[in-house]
Amino acid sequence: MDVKTVRDVAKFAHIALTDEETERYCKDLGDILSYFELLNEAPECDERGVNPILVEDITREDVPKVEYDADVLLRDMDTYERYVRGPRLS
Amino acid sequence: MSMDSTLRDLKRINEKYRMFHAMTEDLEPGDSSFLFSVKDNLTSKDMETCAGSRILEGYHPAFDAASVEKMRLAGGKLIGKANMDEFGFGTFSTNSGFEIPRNPYDLDRACGGSSGGSACAASVIEDHVSLGVSTGGSICCPASFCGVYGIAPTYGRVSRFGLIDYGNSLDKIGVISQKAADLKKFMEVIAGRDERDPTSMVQPEFNTAYRKMKSVAVPKEGIEGLSKEVEKAFNDALEQLKSMGVDVDYVDMPSLRYAMPAYYVLATSEASTNLARYVGMRYGHQDGDHTLKFDDYFTDVRTRYFGDEAKRRILLGTFTRMAGFGGRHYAKAREVRQVVINDYKKVLADHDAVLAPTMPFTAPKFDDISKMSALDSYKADYLTVPANLAGTPHLSVPCGYDSDGMPVGMQFVADHWNEDVLFSIAEDWEKQFDLRRPEVSI
Amino acid sequence: MKIGLECHVQLPTKSKMFCSCPTEECEFPNTHVCPTCLGMPGSRPVLNRQVLVYGIMIAKMLNCEVNDTTWFARKTYFYPDMSKSVQITQYDNPIGERGVYYLDGKKPIRITRIHIEEDPGKTKRTSDLTSLVDYNRSGIPLAEIVTEPDIATPAEARQFLTQMIGDIRHLLNIPDDLEWVVKCDCNISVGTERVEIKNVNGMKHAEKALHAEMVRQIAMIKAKKKILRETRRYDPERDVTIGVRVKEFEDQYGYIDEPDLGIYHIKDLADSIKISESPQNMVLRMSSQYKIDQKMAKQLVNTSMDLAGLFEDVAKEFDTASAVKWVAGPVSASWRAMEDRGETPDMEKLKGFIRSFTEGKVTDTQCAIDIKSYMTGVDASAAMEESAGLESLINEFLDKNPKIVTDYQKNDKAANQVIGYVMKQTGGKYSSSEVVETAKKLIEARF
Repeated sequence: MDVKTVRDVAKFAHIALTDEETERYCKDLGDILSYFELLNEAPECDERGVNPILVEDITREDVPKVEYDADVLLRDMDTYERYVRGPRLS
Repeated sequence: MSMDSTLRDLKRINEKYRMFHAMTEDLEPGDSSFLFSVKDNLTSKDMETCAGSRILEGYHPAFDAASVEKMRLAGGKLIGKANMDEFGFGTFSTNSGFEIPRNPYDLDRACGGSSGGSACAASVIEDHVSLGVSTGGSICCPASFCGVYGIAPTYGRVSRFGLIDYGNSLDKIGVISQKAADLKKFMEVIAGRDERDPTSMVQPEFNTAYRKMKSVAVPKEGIEGLSKEVEKAFNDALEQLKSMGVDVDYVDMPSLRYAMPAYYVLATSEASTNLARYVGMRYGHQDGDHTLKFDDYFTDVRTRYFGDEAKRRILLGTFTRMAGFGGRHYAKAREVRQVVINDYKKVLADHDAVLAPTMPFTAPKFDDISKMSALDSYKADYLTVPANLAGTPHLSVPCGYDSDGMPVGMQFVADHWNEDVLFSIAEDWEKQFDLRRPEVSI
Repeated sequence: MKIGLECHVQLPTKSKMFCSCPTEECEFPNTHVCPTCLGMPGSRPVLNRQVLVYGIMIAKMLNCEVNDTTWFARKTYFYPDMSKSVQITQYDNPIGERGVYYLDGKKPIRITRIHIEEDPGKTKRTSDLTSLVDYNRSGIPLAEIVTEPDIATPAEARQFLTQMIGDIRHLLNIPDDLEWVVKCDCNISVGTERVEIKNVNGMKHAEKALHAEMVRQIAMIKAKKKILRETRRYDPERDVTIGVRVKEFEDQYGYIDEPDLGIYHIKDLADSIKISESPQNMVLRMSSQYKIDQKMAKQLVNTSMDLAGLFEDVAKEFDTASAVKWVAGPVSASWRAMEDRGETPDMEKLKGFIRSFTEGKVTDTQCAIDIKSYMTGVDASAAMEESAGLESLINEFLDKNPKIVTDYQKNDKAANQVIGYVMKQTGGKYSSSEVVETAKKLIEARF
């Protein structure tokens, strides 16, 4: 794990790091990733589970329902004429 | 302690032990039949829900978590939202954006984590039950450190509707209490299918009839690296189990050593996607400068309000799931989970449970925790992680005390959906175990 | 030049993909929303089964192999309209893979895959450039169809989109009057480096964007400048593409499995879904199978798929000539009239009329009158009179213009020449197709 990678990953994750933090995370993540190398020794397995138990074929019918009062959901949001406020797009 | 006195003393209890992030304002029990608390990553209509993170300050959910809803329907009164590691990221409840719960046996020590506030409440408050959430050991670890009983059921047993996600393929909601019988009683309340959580929809019937535990397997990998005192307490407990008619076998479970890295890869990969939604819009802090470009706005809010460990896990998870960074661990970790499950199934074909100490040491002092590296504290979970990775139900019972009087716990792991045999051994164990309650003074 | 498309089409479900919020248009922003489509902490997705059904239908129409098992993945990216900063989509094992679509029924355009995913919300800019977001659209189901770079020109891309989207509309029963925006990501390489134009709205813009980018790439190559592998966007007002960012990593979304939904065994569901042939395919197939003019096939299919079906039945039960003579003739001529009366043609009854003729029980004039009388509701004697009236008018005209008969032998369009005359004489009493069909019959009788 090098400093540049930590910076790139942080940028993707939308987290700003100071130089001190970059150094620190670089070391921590380096240690942790070296430990993860243990996985290379682990036996292989053909089964592929998304969950530890088999969750299969759970769907609902296409029936529209209004289960929440939209105004209650908007209660704590920063809104303008019912639109949710956000930052600049470009 | 009656419900009235608990409610009356609630604020003072909390000042001393710091188990709750938010507490009920309504101090009358009314027609409630019991009081309960829940970890603060379960949503509640009447109290702020932050999951230990400052980024969620001000989040008042419009809905109760399925488990909270069921506890209320059963006559429960929710008294508090329990402190925890931010989003469940920790082993000691010290990685919190808010207060850190104090161990009921020694205020200079941790409660364990990440459901530390829940275990603390269950230990301190009489006749109290608290719901915890386990991703990698977050119910059994604090139950063990706080000297109480705790169960994390099979993955998918309890609806996760209303749970603020850490790792969706790992998270399980369970029960912590001083009384073994409470585990069964309240698991029965919260278990069951819920159409709002597809992963809860495949479970078989929840059996609660008594089924005696006849044999346990102790994996050699589960008794390595123990502190002397934990080792001694555990060995004494094994003798006690034998005297109760439980066969004890020693087995090899070689896959257990791969469970740790596989768990951290899956958990952080999933966590980094779950936490992507916290960008300073819609809920929680929305106080950024909207004239910034969205990337900068999101970065600003996330940087200010996520804690140190949350950032570490986001970075780790982002790295491991992105092939572009050379992270190639995700697919392998998914395979290893299957290997570990198969290993458990093999051992559990001949035994009712796999047994080992819950934690390799007793509750550490805050001073010592602050000296641990990130990797050290990750590794402290090596005994609880395998069952969590496999989604198998596991239950921790108090099994002794060290020379400082700190509780030691041991953890039984049963096969998927076999909670019944865990309840039975917990109740049998309780009958002959001399539980030392902490001295509670306020 | 190579062009490949990624098209996003909205699926016409009544509720959203992972929550029960209604999908219908709503005047007020953030009204058809719930914790799930707002991405609120603690909320969870549950899959709408109909989305799988529509996905499978499109996969089958595109001749894709439908996977036995399918599941979802999380694609992480940050944008204000993406409520979870994660889009639930499909990565490996999508609904369908390796299909092919025949442009104009001939040129194969290979389909890489089709998967289903959720739509984000909508953003708009304010005067101070900050954004306002409406999540009503968040969670509406989409199908994404990805083609191989088999398309040769921007015009062909538009043609492909028009035909394929027309077929999907028909397949999913999306009314003609419903506005239905198709969004595309267009990949184009004139030389060796591929450029992606993101988020182009509609087929017309797809062609224009591709054209603008083609022109730019050609100019770059001529000037010996290097074309960057990048993502661009199309500005319709200036008719140019603009670079937005250079791809740093091939896989910048860090896909992982979606652990909240589990997996779906869709083989049985796929086997149980029978899709109707697309109109486009039906026209092409009928034209070649029955050796009829594409125009006639198109006329039948466009009038009604049931009419085209009757044509096939009659061709099978009797012969193609009977189908052409009767179904493409008087039945087709009166089809709309019957529909306008709010009635559904009884196929057995129509076949009965034709059988009477083929068995020699009635003359062809009588048969035509029976059919018309049944379908228009005009009684037989009046129909006979009308028909006689029409026939004598046409015969008069043909007597005066014998050249039509000889012209007709070279090109059957010559029959159209009678339309104007008859229409004028009768004040539009007969439909043009009825006139033409009758004229053809009478001309052919003069050979």
